Amino acid sequence: MTAADVRGWDPGDGRISTPSAARAPAWAADAPTRPASGLPPLAPDRGHAEPDWSEVVEHFREGLIVCDADGVVRHLSAVAARLLPEVTPDVPLVTAGIRELTTPDAPAEFTHRGRRLRVRRVPLSAGRSCRYVEDVTESVTRSDALLTERARSAFLAVVGEKLGNPLHPDRAAAAVVRLAVPTLAEVSVLVLAPRAGRARWWRAARSEDETPIVDSGVLAATDLPAAIEEGLAGAEPHAVDWLVEQAVDAGWLPGLPAHETSARVVPLPGHDAPTGVLLVARRATRFYDEADIDLVRAFAARAGAALTTAVLYRDQAEVADTLQASLLPVEPAEATGVQWGTAYRPAQAGLRIGGDFYGSHRLADGGSVFFLGDVSGKGVEAAVFTGQLRQCLQALHRVESHPVRLLRLLNDALLETTQAHGQGRFATMVLGVVRPHRDGSLTLTMAGGGHLPPLVLRAGGEVEPVGLSGMLVGVVPDPRIGEVTVRLAPGETCLLYSDGVTEARGGRRGDELFGPERLVTALAGCHRMPAPALAERVEQVTCDWLGHGDHDDIAVLALRATGTGARNSRHLHAVPRPPEQREHQE
Amino acid sequence: MTAPAIETDPGQAFSRYLDCLAEADEYAAIEVARGLLDAGVPAERVLLDLVAPAQAEVGERWARNEWSVAQEHAATHISERVVAAIAGRANPRPTRGRVVVACMDGEWHALPPRLVAEVLRLRGWQVTFLGASVPVAHLVSYLHRHDAHAVALACALPMRLPHAHRMIEACRRSDVPVVVGGRGFGEDGRWARRLGVAWAPDAPTAADLVADERALRRVPPAELSHLADDEYGGLLKRRGELIDSALADLRDRVPGMSSYTGAQLDSTVSDLGYIVDFLAAALYVDDASLFTEFVRWLVEILTSRGVPAGAVGMTLSHYRRALHDFPRAGRFLVAGEALVTEVSHAGR
Repeated sequence: MTAADVRGWDPGDGRISTPSAARAPAWAADAPTRPASGLPPLAPDRGHAEPDWSEVVEHFREGLIVCDADGVVRHLSAVAARLLPEVTPDVPLVTAGIRELTTPDAPAEFTHRGRRLRVRRVPLSAGRSCRYVEDVTESVTRSDALLTERARSAFLAVVGEKLGNPLHPDRAAAAVVRLAVPTLAEVSVLVLAPRAGRARWWRAARSEDETPIVDSGVLAATDLPAAIEEGLAGAEPHAVDWLVEQAVDAGWLPGLPAHETSARVVPLPGHDAPTGVLLVARRATRFYDEADIDLVRAFAARAGAALTTAVLYRDQAEVADTLQASLLPVEPAEATGVQWGTAYRPAQAGLRIGGDFYGSHRLADGGSVFFLGDVSGKGVEAAVFTGQLRQCLQALHRVESHPVRLLRLLNDALLETTQAHGQGRFATMVLGVVRPHRDGSLTLTMAGGGHLPPLVLRAGGEVEPVGLSGMLVGVVPDPRIGEVTVRLAPGETCLLYSDGVTEARGGRRGDELFGPERLVTALAGCHRMPAPALAERVEQVTCDWLGHGDHDDIAVLALRATGTGARNSRHLHAVPRPPEQREHQE
Repeated sequence: MTAPAIETDPGQAFSRYLDCLAEADEYAAIEVARGLLDAGVPAERVLLDLVAPAQAEVGERWARNEWSVAQEHAATHISERVVAAIAGRANPRPTRGRVVVACMDGEWHALPPRLVAEVLRLRGWQVTFLGASVPVAHLVSYLHRHDAHAVALACALPMRLPHAHRMIEACRRSDVPVVVGGRGFGEDGRWARRLGVAWAPDAPTAADLVADERALRRVPPAELSHLADDEYGGLLKRRGELIDSALADLRDRVPGMSSYTGAQLDSTVSDLGYIVDFLAAALYVDDASLFTEFVRWLVEILTSRGVPAGAVGMTLSHYRRALHDFPRAGRFLVAGEALVTEVSHAGR
């Protein structure tokens, strides 16, 4: 070998210790011309500072095989001899029988005697050639392990993200099996711990496109495969063969023949006993090794936590739902000659209940008691107080139907309760009695308990505030309570609303009050609207004013005199266009 | 009220139905629908060929300033009652999973999604209609408590697209697939694609999509990399200041404004706000056509109410000057101004 053979050739990947081209001329002329086994003596005219290149080459991490033009091995370095013991000097390289060394287009990397080898073939002068052989086993193993680990973390991160939100339990179960495919399995089956003798299961199967097919079903607890039962008891069954048979018998592995399938069962940890078990199955060509099982276990831990949270959430939501239902305003009862319209938007949307309330009760004489109000405070506590208040009214209206006297009774009852519990809660409200007349008109007698006065939409289009004042309910023993009587002709409407409407903050900067003037403007031209549409309009203009800002509870109750007869809407004519009014809802 | 003639074609009954809406005659409107059902017209056709086109016509009459908002609301209310009557008559037994139908937060056009809800119900789904302007928190808590197969969300105004996106993401986090519909996503649903969500142009398509859960889950991801320039967020922060300065600018240039009533001023302020909000939505989905379509619509609406197109042009150029360091918004505003010029020349 001559230095000229390799001079100026460097793959440039920094891994190969090729002598630098710049230094080459200094030693090229005197380099040994005939490499042989053993170390050639130093040229006598060299200073002892000059290294012996053959000796240096022998210590490369890469092994060297130099062949002559006929393919006969002329030099074999110690490293090469160790990595490729089949290669012998002075015989053709082909006789070693290592295809990758002699085939020109063979892959540069191959596995030989359990080592991963990388070969570079470099042509030298005079038809000779050199093969550089490197043992890359460790670096390949390291980078493979790194890639695998990265894939695992990425997979678990996605799983954590998808299962990290509270879900409906059924959704969570479906998500668990869907996420397991295809990373963990071709078919994954989740069996929940049986309740009342029945076990629900979900299954995801890989399909041609990347979206798995998910289905579900129910099995009697007695029909569960033994391996599943074992898993539900917290054990991880290891006898893998019969596990596959059982899963096939249960009909869970369509398209996977028993003898070609590898399957595992892992319990999903719950609070106490496992919440369920996960069965993963795929073709036996990719059997589950210990690392795979670790990943399945890590997945099962997250799935178990998600399912437990989901069930806990559902149970609590059921309780909350039941309680909420009793605190939600009840739609007014149908009453002769009255069309009701309501709108209700609590401040805390997720809660759906708040401190505003409305309702009605029918009286024996054909009239109805109706009310709308607002209690101090917000949220759940306020909602609970509205519930007490509505129950009080439900009982009290049977003994007293005169609005002012009824409101006084209510005041006394509340005062007694709040004094007993030291809550100090109070309410504002309008409480009225509506009575229909033969001509289709309505008489409304209303008592004011410190609430915003109602508005009346007259047939001519005027919007009149009703003069009604009074003191808060539930604060002092003998409050001043206002009283007013309003007559609604057919087609006229009385509107009750809470301060969530007029005190809505919005506008340009989000801090301007909506105010009563804007409400009156918004109602102009609406006097012939059906009551439900009118209530919704008030809700809509208020919410539009708010933008997406925070707001107080909003409640609206509209009563419209529908007139007599079944065709009580016949008097509705085209609504005249209000002058100079321009609105901006599409 | 005479007894309705028996008609078997929703198209023929259409004009009578519109008359009922114009007269705000709920009972007559219900009778028109009942007549069709009695004659054997399927409920789905009555909903889609009678109620839906009538509602579209109501919207156009409002846009042309022929009907007031009050009339529009009354007509919509009556159509809702008609839908309820039709649904009550058909009353199908649910055989499939639960589907939740809702309007986006801030969205009040509840009739189109109500029609979708009823079509789904007629096709055997157990449908929950949550109504107009559903807060995200309300929808999410509903999805936690009830196993929904899918959520159908409606959005009529492109202005609400950023909120729509938040709502869609919230549903996704609950692992419930979403299908969206309504004009808010563009005539061809292009902004739904931008947000990475399945879109249906009409109720039957929505019903078909809901029936194919895998198709719902197979949507390409959202393409919102343009949001990295933060123009959307920056514009929202400057919203109040922009509206204030635009109002001051208009006061300087339009002498008549000094005599505006409070209501007129409010309405001007809300128009100025809509321009910013539509611009923000256009930035969100990075599509100038969202903004120019809005400008075209706004000019039409204002012109039909006696406000000249030039006033819109003035505000657009004011915003453009104020937003000189927002290159994308600047391009959209220039496109809007060009449109105003074109429309006002065509109008002459």
